[in-house]
Amino acid sequence: MIAVDQLTKRYGRIVAVNLLSFSVPPGKVTGFLGPNGAGKTTTLRMILGLSHPTSGSATINGRPFGAGGAGLRRVGALLDAADVQGGRTAAAHLHGLARSNGLPRRRVDDVLEEVGLASAARRRIGGFSLGMKQRLGIAAALLGDPPVLLFDEPINGLDPEGVRWARRLFRRLAAEGRTVFVSSHLMSEMESTADRLVVIGRGELIAEDSLAAFAARGGGTGVRVRTPDPAALESALAAEVGVTIRADGDQTLLVTGIGAARVGEVAAARSIVLHELSSRTGSLEAAFMELTANGVEYVAGEAR
Amino acid sequence: MTATPTSAPSRVHFGDLVAAEWIKLLSLRSTVPVLLVGVLLCVADAVQQSLNTYNAWPTLDASFRAGFDPLHDALNGICVALVMIGAGTLGALSIVGEHSSGMIRTTFVVVPARRMVIAAKVAVMTTVTLAAGVVITAAAFLISQAILDGRGIGVGLGDQDVLRALAFDALLPPLCAVVGMGLGSVIRSTALSIVAVCVVLVVLPASLHQSVHVWADDAMNTIPYTVWQRMILLGPVPSAAHLPTVAGSWIVFAAWPLVAALIALVAVGIRDV
Repeated sequence: MIAVDQLTKRYGRIVAVNLLSFSVPPGKVTGFLGPNGAGKTTTLRMILGLSHPTSGSATINGRPFGAGGAGLRRVGALLDAADVQGGRTAAAHLHGLARSNGLPRRRVDDVLEEVGLASAARRRIGGFSLGMKQRLGIAAALLGDPPVLLFDEPINGLDPEGVRWARRLFRRLAAEGRTVFVSSHLMSEMESTADRLVVIGRGELIAEDSLAAFAARGGGTGVRVRTPDPAALESALAAEVGVTIRADGDQTLLVTGIGAARVGEVAAARSIVLHELSSRTGSLEAAFMELTANGVEYVAGEAR
Repeated sequence: MTATPTSAPSRVHFGDLVAAEWIKLLSLRSTVPVLLVGVLLCVADAVQQSLNTYNAWPTLDASFRAGFDPLHDALNGICVALVMIGAGTLGALSIVGEHSSGMIRTTFVVVPARRMVIAAKVAVMTTVTLAAGVVITAAAFLISQAILDGRGIGVGLGDQDVLRALAFDALLPPLCAVVGMGLGSVIRSTALSIVAVCVVLVVLPASLHQSVHVWADDAMNTIPYTVWQRMILLGPVPSAAHLPTVAGSWIVFAAWPLVAALIALVAVGIRDV
């Protein structure tokens, strides 16, 4: 369990994180979303005691993380895959980290095997690709078999197989009862990984919700239907339970609350002609874009 | 594998941190070659100087012979600057190298007890550079005296002030290394911290000279290089000069690394990484 309470960080006059409060429960994968510069990394650094908050607090299982002694058995974290010294081999890097926490050498081989780097153990990190460095960072996070895990943009640089592997790993870690907190600036990365979302923009909380509830905020999952007679279809669909209907242009309706199959059945029963019937996908992305539109720090091609 | 959430912070053991820093230092590509090259250069310099004296001895006049310091060839070569800059840089890089690469964040997430990490770094760096210092001093002394004995002008460990001189010489590398760590933990930039090491340890002392002002001499006598120069001297000391005392020298050699280590310990707790 991670609890962030009224967390604020100012650098001079710049407010990086402002009165941020949220919690990350165990047993779930919680996505930490926000555009570039939203304050995700700053927040993670404060949770991990690397940066001191200007005000507010962040605790892991009830205690500020930075106040404790050895860290690996309490929290595993991958902040930036580049936070390593390139001159060391992967095995030596992990051995040093494990030794500092009194963990046996055997754990190094275990985690290298787990992330698929066993064959690269004796190679210097400086020659690793970004994807390999991400795997090494994930390996370091797993060393102490910790109940809480934080990953900052862990998918960056991974190949498609690596992305699938990482998603399965996060889901498995959560299924084992651990607290898993994964940041990203891409909604699409979260769709098939996260159970919950914490969304921030310009250092402030925008949403803290389950994935389904978040999607509903942005118009929700729904059905797009085009017909030459929208009025007839609308009155026919209005009888359905839990349905909401919005017009989208002259001949198009956006229907939520019932599936595409039911919309088709209703139309067929009334002999209403349909020109298009499709399930809306990517609505999470739409919700994310909509909600963070005002919270984007850097906008391309726009004078501000 | 089922996780049991625990709120109790797991204890960190200083011995584990020292072992970890030892692994980290020796697994960096440059550490061992730098130490080996440094040791070899210094010993070679002592051999070269001793051979020069050995060969020139029959041609030297009486006044030079009378003022000859048998430790000079072994210890007082060009390599003292090399030792100070080398050890100081090694110390600075042990801190700055982690800041510039970002490794420091990995280190402090793994062990949030920052001061204990720095203390372990100081312990490891002191041990390694002290070992290098002892090897350099012992090898330079033994080989140099073996050469000079051929002219009957060598000294032994039992002779007056010899052990003390050797002790100060062997302590110079760890002193410089810890000073480098103090500078590095405040400056945090690779280039600037190396410049600072050179200025503080070598350039500044070299630009100071004995003067008519007692306060200026007092200030000079608090500088490690000045103290080292005086303490490795076996020959007659000019009586009028306001030189470091033996007690004062020990205090200077203890105070510099202690203050530098304190600075490193305090600095690491204050600033974000």
